[in-house]
Amino acid sequence: MKKKYSGIEKKLSRWGWYFVTPSLIFFMLFSFYPIINAAYISLFRKKILSLKAPDFLGLGNYKYLLSSSDFWNSMRATFVFTLGTFIPLVIVSLLLAVLIMGRNKGKKFLQLAYYSPAVLSSVVAAVIWMMIFDPRGIANQWLNFLVNTPGVDHLWLAKSFMVQFSTMLVYFWKYIGYFVVIFIAGLASIPHSLYEAAKIDGAVPRQIFWRITLPLLKPTVLLVSIMAMLQCLKTFGTQYLFVQAGSPQAPINVITLNIYNTGIRDHLLGRASAMSIILFVIMLFFTWLQFKTSKADDVDY
Amino acid sequence: MSLLQEKTENKSVFSFMWLLSTLILLAALIFTIIPLIFMFTASAMPSKDILKMPYRWVPRGFHWQNYFKAIAGNDGNYMFFRNIINSVIVACSVTVSTVLLAGITGYGLAKFRFRGRNIVFLAIMATMMIPFEAIMIPLYLVATNLHLQNSYGGLIFPFLVNAFGVFMMRQFLITFPDEFLDATRIDGAGEIRIFFNIVLPNIKPAIATLAILTFRTQWDNLIWPLLIAQSEKMKTVPLYIVKFAAEKYTDEGAMMAVAFLASIPMLILFFSMSNYFVSGASVYSSRKG
Repeated sequence: MKKKYSGIEKKLSRWGWYFVTPSLIFFMLFSFYPIINAAYISLFRKKILSLKAPDFLGLGNYKYLLSSSDFWNSMRATFVFTLGTFIPLVIVSLLLAVLIMGRNKGKKFLQLAYYSPAVLSSVVAAVIWMMIFDPRGIANQWLNFLVNTPGVDHLWLAKSFMVQFSTMLVYFWKYIGYFVVIFIAGLASIPHSLYEAAKIDGAVPRQIFWRITLPLLKPTVLLVSIMAMLQCLKTFGTQYLFVQAGSPQAPINVITLNIYNTGIRDHLLGRASAMSIILFVIMLFFTWLQFKTSKADDVDY
Repeated sequence: MSLLQEKTENKSVFSFMWLLSTLILLAALIFTIIPLIFMFTASAMPSKDILKMPYRWVPRGFHWQNYFKAIAGNDGNYMFFRNIINSVIVACSVTVSTVLLAGITGYGLAKFRFRGRNIVFLAIMATMMIPFEAIMIPLYLVATNLHLQNSYGGLIFPFLVNAFGVFMMRQFLITFPDEFLDATRIDGAGEIRIFFNIVLPNIKPAIATLAILTFRTQWDNLIWPLLIAQSEKMKTVPLYIVKFAAEKYTDEGAMMAVAFLASIPMLILFFSMSNYFVSGASVYSSRKG
């Protein structure tokens, strides 16, 4: 009897391997191999379409990047974009989620309405906002109305500061509803009884938010923050399209755009790979941070 | 949970809070919806009306020429149809393969004990940390060497399955009843048949959620097609829009018509299956276990 049982178990364990093998092979070929290959290429001066064997540079590409003002400008652009986007995203989406949960009617409608921009592709989002930011477009009309400066062109797509702000606004617009939905799911998982108990104890809404909702929501807040941050670090579409349509490149030359231009337009594959590896290491750090914080802060209801 | 509606002792504070919350929610609603309304109304106006001050929100009549221009393209070669078919082919292939591969891998990880299972799971999860932007240059080199530029294979292969899909399917299948599987095994069903006939039909919500997520990501994909599809015929919709925007920045009406046309498939999906969009987003906040 025992022998037969272990026979079935053996058979099943073999099937387990059969089922995971196709994906495992895929990830070997399309994730692990390329990242190792990127690290390898980053040590060479490699040009595409060049028949010469690539020169070995050691850490030459990295040394070049660390002393290149263009690279540091990209780091600056990426981090300015990331900080300027993910912090408002997390705060505003949390606020909206809490306000929506406080409603009796229209919860579903508001969630879906806020979520709707996330449905569009990032290229479409960028194109719509390009029209809105046109010198004669509604962004100028409305801002001039609000701050009472008739006829002023705020150069949304031209001035260094404004074009950075514009890319953040597009991203904020596109993803706000997405994070509202995540927060609402997190809020809904907090047991109702805790609120009841707090009310019986005479807590007012403000106290309930700071003492109960926020501490219990901390894991979700951390998770969402790091997720939003990782997303922002990879931003590409809006910046690419704005530059294509004539915006100045330097203020919004984020790292992905720089990798694309260096590798594909200038054919400097070694240097582009070195930048990819730096991006990878930065993202690895934040992912590690995410695991560390989410382990330490797991809350049980 | 109606925090703000609860009667508090101070009645005026309550109504003030209620008013404030209404105003904030309304402002956010206007902010999210206005650009969408703008896209649609502007797509029906002649260009000279779009950039008129103040903007007229109700178009006078429907300016169909925008849509003709959008579809015909600048060269008048109607590449839009070809490009939209490309997008559909790529997005559908990737979706089907992701659902199948993520499903079977998640099933293997959730319901079978085998040596090395945890290592396999961790290895797959580890790939989530590798951003596509970091591996696109080596992938581009491989694709060039294999002459996969301007081919469906080149557009599809790097996305056949993804770690998030495997993770989602595994989480979903962990709670799948073992007795159910054992009963069908005793009836003599083969493992592959069990997966297709018993497991897949019973996890439709997870499949729908993952399918929508995958389709959307592919419909939105810009950077990889930008590298791999240079010929007009193999471009996808985002590339068509980029080309249109770069060449025809001045024809605002046609621009908005393209944007709207490109969004129709996603809008239809969204309005008919909004629950699955929402559940796709909230997978993240319930990822314990």
